Amino acid sequence: MIDHIQYFISIWPELFKGLVVSLELSVGALLLGLVIGLPMALMRTYGKGIVKAFAVGYIELIRGTPMIVQLFLIYYGLPDLGILLDRVPAAIIALGINSSAYQAEYFRGAILSIDEGQGLAAQALGMTKQQAILNIILPQALRLVIPPWSNEVIYMVKYTSVAFLIAVPELMARGKMIISQTFKPLETLFWVGVIYIIVLSIIAKVVDIIEKKLAIPGFQMSGED
Amino acid sequence: MAKPILRVENIHKKFKGTEVLKGLSLTVYEGEVVVIIGPSGTGKSTLLRCINRLTEPDSGDVYLEEQKIEPGKTNLNYIRQQIGMVFQDFNLFNHLTALQNVAIGPIKVKKMDKQKAYELARKELARVGLADKAANYPAELSGGQKQRVAIARALAMDPKIMLFDEPTSALDPELIGEVLEVMKDLANAGMTMVVVSHEMGFAREAADRIVFLENGVVAEMGSPEKIFNNPEKERTREFISKITRLNSVAKDREVL
Ligand SMILES: Nc1ncnc2c1ncn2[C@@H]1O[C@H](COP(=O)(O)OP(=O)(O)O)[C@@H](O)[C@H]1O
Ligand SMILES: [Mg+2]
Repeated sequence: MIDHIQYFISIWPELFKGLVVSLELSVGALLLGLVIGLPMALMRTYGKGIVKAFAVGYIELIRGTPMIVQLFLIYYGLPDLGILLDRVPAAIIALGINSSAYQAEYFRGAILSIDEGQGLAAQALGMTKQQAILNIILPQALRLVIPPWSNEVIYMVKYTSVAFLIAVPELMARGKMIISQTFKPLETLFWVGVIYIIVLSIIAKVVDIIEKKLAIPGFQMSGED
Repeated sequence: MAKPILRVENIHKKFKGTEVLKGLSLTVYEGEVVVIIGPSGTGKSTLLRCINRLTEPDSGDVYLEEQKIEPGKTNLNYIRQQIGMVFQDFNLFNHLTALQNVAIGPIKVKKMDKQKAYELARKELARVGLADKAANYPAELSGGQKQRVAIARALAMDPKIMLFDEPTSALDPELIGEVLEVMKDLANAGMTMVVVSHEMGFAREAADRIVFLENGVVAEMGSPEKIFNNPEKERTREFISKITRLNSVAKDREVL
């Protein structure tokens, strides 16, 4: 037991650096996904003609292709077009674009679950369609989207491990490096797993607190009330 | 003769090839309470929605006082502010308290100062008897209370006319009375109202005119006295007696 703890203490500085990179990737990709995903959701829900078609095409294309393909396209493919990205930005962009399609669908689901009568009532008061979306639909949709969105956060932290395929020094990549030096794959991966579990539990708890803070009577966000 | 507030002229509206409104015309005068009755699916909701353009009619004109409502030419949102609308299923904003529901129109649409808007909202809530529910969310209100908040929300825009689309038909029988009371008070205060409703007691008491809509046109209209006791058309008589029978069945059920 003491041996294990000592081993952990010896590899912790290295793993910690990896964890920081994993979290950077997660935050960057989630924000990028939000910034692209929310407009895509609005375009797909409210847009007409080419605007809607563009959003549908984007979302389905991204969801229909493996993330690794997207990652490799951006890191190895873009240089052919003269766009050279460092590893970390390339990973953030790939993970962010991938996430944006899923986030768009979460947002769209939340928007569609709000009965359209409220939108009509807002327009009957004299609000423009944009005002109705901004003041009535979105504040409710953003609350409803918290549970699926928190799942996306958890997935994202785990998905960042694919970035080790383009040699981004995130948690998983550091683990692999350590293994190649210590030849202790089982113990190393055990501690990597423990770190993921602890971090993800903390995130889940924080999301839970946020959800409770924003809760409104009669507004069912997750299963419990 | 009182001055016309609303004129609907020769409105046509088709949905997927089926004509719902077939050249319907109706004039509503200042302070008048018009109750619209008619079989389900006959176009009563469509008519109300064509008035404030939540539905775009295929042809025909609508005038609010002297102003012709023409999308693209008139500012539709300005027109809608002046036409209050109350829906069958309330359509309250679920993320806002009763007070915020009433204040949001003046704040966002009329750009009223927030302090003033909340003051106004409190006054309107008091008017519908819900001063003590200002801080409650829709989910914490009964159906009757929700509908009264919805009425207060429409009133806060200071409309020239109020449209009601079956305001009590989604309510449990014991909650209908409180909403009808508020509507009667409004009528007595001189509000111009168009009410789609099959509450015959309300129609008898509050209506200046009853309009029987059938097959997309006004089949018959007149004073409650005439429509209830002496309708010109057999169809009107049949419909009234059917509704009265249904109402009394509902009442019997309530007693049981
Ligand atoms: N948005 C719509 N799309 C297609 N059909 C509609 C729409 N709104 C109403 N209708 C049809 O028009 C007819 C009249 O509806 P409505 O005005 O709601 O009747 P009422 O309010 O008198 O019961 C119905 O047959 C209904 O199915
Ligand atoms: Mg109807």
